[in-house]
Amino acid sequence: MIKFHPSEEHLFHYVTGDLSPAMLMMVGTHVDMCSQCQEQVREMEQLLANKMFGQEEVPEEFALSDASFDGDEMLARIMAQAPDRHEAPRLQQAANELILEGKRFQLPGTLARNQHRIGAWHKVVGKMWRASVDVGGDDVLTFIYMDKNTRVPEHTHKGREATMVINGVFNDETAEYRDGDFVFLDSTVKHTPETRDEDCLTLAALDAPMHFTSGLSRLLNPFSSLFFK
Amino acid sequence: MSSAQPDDPDHAAALLALVATEQSRTAFSELFNYFAPRLKTYATRQFGNEQTAMDLVQETMTNVWNKAHLFKPDRGSASTWIFTIARNIRFDFLRKNKHRQHDLSADELWPVLAEQNDSLDDDYALDDDLLMQQLAGYCEVLPKAQRVVIELIYVEGKSQQEVADALGIPLGTVKSRTRLALQKLRELINSDD
Ligand SMILES: [Zn+2]
Repeated sequence: MIKFHPSEEHLFHYVTGDLSPAMLMMVGTHVDMCSQCQEQVREMEQLLANKMFGQEEVPEEFALSDASFDGDEMLARIMAQAPDRHEAPRLQQAANELILEGKRFQLPGTLARNQHRIGAWHKVVGKMWRASVDVGGDDVLTFIYMDKNTRVPEHTHKGREATMVINGVFNDETAEYRDGDFVFLDSTVKHTPETRDEDCLTLAALDAPMHFTSGLSRLLNPFSSLFFK
Repeated sequence: MSSAQPDDPDHAAALLALVATEQSRTAFSELFNYFAPRLKTYATRQFGNEQTAMDLVQETMTNVWNKAHLFKPDRGSASTWIFTIARNIRFDFLRKNKHRQHDLSADELWPVLAEQNDSLDDDYALDDDLLMQQLAGYCEVLPKAQRVVIELIYVEGKSQQEVADALGIPLGTVKSRTRLALQKLRELINSDD
């Protein structure tokens, strides 16, 4: 079972589209994997629809007959088009896999639809790999793959970081995270993610570079810009 | 004429069905007269710009006219469907206004107007060359634990999460069983060719 979910606020802004592209991808991917959040998203959509369309009376200035809005003319223009019976694009069904180090990972819908945005994989250090997902916006979205028994040097973030598990398990000081789990950390939290006897594919969104805090890894700090540029 | 208004979900769904099946102008006009002014209210407040607001109304209602057949009543109400269309159009307007045409688009995020596959989880649909009939025979060969998972997903159309919930096992286990079973099935089918 998924134990860690995005906040209600994140879900709401996912529904309205008011998050950075990277965060929209993160929350959307979690929703793909989480039936509980899917349900919440449906409720929020219904709520917003009721808010938008529920008023009995439309304010005078927005009425169809308003001089600036010739509703009849627009209606006629739309219906003058022959209904477009072209097949809508089918949701792609093949090629939803990511192949990495000989392993295959199924990509949830949101990522599968954006597979063309996934860049090349680079080895970061040891048994850790990353590939950025170019969705635009100021945040950085990246896959991180950790082989088993891999540890990320202790670090904090100047900004915030959201991480979720696509497949596998990782641990930090406070918990164990599995498929679909979604964690959101701000700059006050230090953490040291590691894998144990399973590998882990995660997706992360960052709004500022990582800042490594422990002894040796401070020397690696230039590496943080390399890590999440 | 019934006295129902398009704010009655059943009535709105029936109107959409008429647009989808017969391109009914009466049904569409009724939907338009209800939804367009409300969309205009929303869009004007969103954009503060009359022209952009009108563009949003026109694009949204054009989609309702053209794509009514993609509305699926079992997935939500008509007003929710129209809301999601308008939400997507707003998202793309804002993106283009910022000259970020190559950024993540609304369709890539929320495929509201894509054909949905009703029975299968989109991500886990079988290859086209794996036919259902063939499958039934081959499934006999699978270990019971894998067969149960495959049947729930591909015969009953459950998502992997639902299977995990139904069987009380972790999602990871469902995934690995699915993966192993599909591998096995592919091998069996290929060895038959
Ligand atoms: Zn959730």
